[in-house]
Amino acid sequence: MSEPLVRALQVARRYGDIEALAPTDLELFEGETVALVGPNGAGKSTLLAIAAGALEPSQGTVESQARVGWVPQRPAHYARLSARENLELFARLEGVPDAAGAATRLLERFALPAEARPSGDLSVGNRQRLNVALSLLGDPRVLLLDEPTASLDPGQRRRVWEVVDALRGDGGAICFATQNVEEVGERADRVVVLQDGRVVFAGPASGFAAVEQDVFG
Amino acid sequence: MRAVSIVLRKDLRVLGRSPLLLGALLAYPIVIALLVGLIAGYASSKPRVAFVDEDHLPQVVSVGGRRFHLQAVIDDVAKQVTLVRMSPKDAARELSQGKVVATITVPRGFLGNLETMASSPSLVLRTGSGGLAPRVTQQMQSLVYQLNQKLQAGYIAANLRFVDLILHGGPGSFLGRHFDLLGLDGTQRELAKLPPSKRVAVIRHFVEVARVGLAQTGTALRATANPITLTQPKTHGRTWVLSAQVQAYGIALTVTFLALLLAAGAAAAEKDEGTIGRLRRGLVSFGQIVWAKSALAAVVGLGLGAAIAIVFGLVVEIGGVNGGEPWARLPLLFVGVTLVGGVVGAVGVLLGALAREARTASLLAVLVVLPVVFLGLVPRGAFALAYWVSLFLPFAHAVTWFGAALYDTSPWRTLAVETLWLVGIGLVFGLLARGALRRLAA
Repeated sequence: MSEPLVRALQVARRYGDIEALAPTDLELFEGETVALVGPNGAGKSTLLAIAAGALEPSQGTVESQARVGWVPQRPAHYARLSARENLELFARLEGVPDAAGAATRLLERFALPAEARPSGDLSVGNRQRLNVALSLLGDPRVLLLDEPTASLDPGQRRRVWEVVDALRGDGGAICFATQNVEEVGERADRVVVLQDGRVVFAGPASGFAAVEQDVFG
Repeated sequence: MRAVSIVLRKDLRVLGRSPLLLGALLAYPIVIALLVGLIAGYASSKPRVAFVDEDHLPQVVSVGGRRFHLQAVIDDVAKQVTLVRMSPKDAARELSQGKVVATITVPRGFLGNLETMASSPSLVLRTGSGGLAPRVTQQMQSLVYQLNQKLQAGYIAANLRFVDLILHGGPGSFLGRHFDLLGLDGTQRELAKLPPSKRVAVIRHFVEVARVGLAQTGTALRATANPITLTQPKTHGRTWVLSAQVQAYGIALTVTFLALLLAAGAAAAEKDEGTIGRLRRGLVSFGQIVWAKSALAAVVGLGLGAAIAIVFGLVVEIGGVNGGEPWARLPLLFVGVTLVGGVVGAVGVLLGALAREARTASLLAVLVVLPVVFLGLVPRGAFALAYWVSLFLPFAHAVTWFGAALYDTSPWRTLAVETLWLVGIGLVFGLLARGALRRLAA
């Protein structure tokens, strides 16, 4: 097997006495999609944020061999700036040479409004698509998505997955957190199930059905 | 530096998109400058003083054979205060209503005492409780001092006429009584007619000594009338007028208040909008976020400080305030407000990161700014602990910086010391803010 694009080794996160994530390993390889599954508060978002470099682990290390894109659970952009301005701003920070061009391409790809309307005034679906679009700046090979389709209608959901699948088709790796069991069956190659901050299952998606009842009750 | 510049431009754009906040930021310096200008104008304007003449003073009065133009003296006073003639009743009413700052009364018998020199004439000064009353008192004391200096020449001349009478004899009068004196000269002549004897010799010796002694009386009288005189050499440079202090405090207060509020809000907003997670993924370090927010506070501080200084300058120029606006010093002031804005910004970032939420951060900033300002106002002698605490906060240094930049003849040493303090304070709070941002992102 080739080297993983992202390797998290024994990463853990504590908030005072509370253990949000027990020491956990996570590896993402080229061309695969991994689903992080678990109930609310299981530690999925924490693990993704640590893997994305958005959260410092209390212990453990993260090694990345490729550029990583991150879609946080809550849309993370400046509400008073338009979708284009947000895309251009983060493109500049990512060091994208043609920030304006990259913004235009992503606006079209995600069918986002190009006008100067503040992104805070966009619909929930548009804001979530902007959230996903921002993660694609800098052409990452690895995409970490935290419940990316939770607030999207079926059409918007399909459009997001088309973009994500294209990235995987180009040899990238996808890891997404979800509570949607159907998405696991449709999208994932491997599944990591978290409960109370600990991995309770890690294996092929086909094996998830056996633990699904235990996890979600 | 590039990341700092990108985040700064973003923050300025976001600021520009907040119409209410932008309106407040534009209105704030104008209102502050107008208020400061009005206070400074009031402080240096001529106080209105009621002049009550119960003795019906003539325009010219004769003292000791010399003529004094009383109207000229009154005109002299009017250069410092606006004297308004009114009746005792009106004067009392206007003083109680605060329409005049003080009343100066010439009581009945004043002129008689002045002319006859039987006793010292008195003027009666009554002041209100307003802020200008102490100044009026000082001006009236100065007036009486100057008046006495002019009158004493007349009094000395009058006294010397009596000495002259004693020396040389002749007709004279005192308190309406007329007399004819023999004088020492006459006494000496009469003594010469007496047969020589031991007793006549003693009297003749006394007359000779008395004549020599009294001949020196003029010089002695003048010397004892002015044992000490105060002379003030003219100095060059700017005057530390009240308007300067008010302006320094006005700008320091405004920049401190708004820079703290903005930086705290801007730092906490990164958490509110969820963007701090995106930024910290290798795009912008926590240190760069502190720099960016401090730079935002510095830029806004510069804008506010400049606006206040310019509007204030226009107000004082139009009002003809003593001291005026030192326009040439404004570039130096702008350096100061930028520095202070940045340093206060670092304190604001710390507050924003600790508050973790923009609204809480704004409230916290408001709560913190007042003690910070008041600590800076406590004099060292009043409460030593407050003074020492204020040394480690930016406000007191900001006031000193602005005051020196605006009006000190040679400000460089003060500016260097205060700059070092401010940079040190900024670095300490910047490091604390960086640590707090790390916790905020967790």
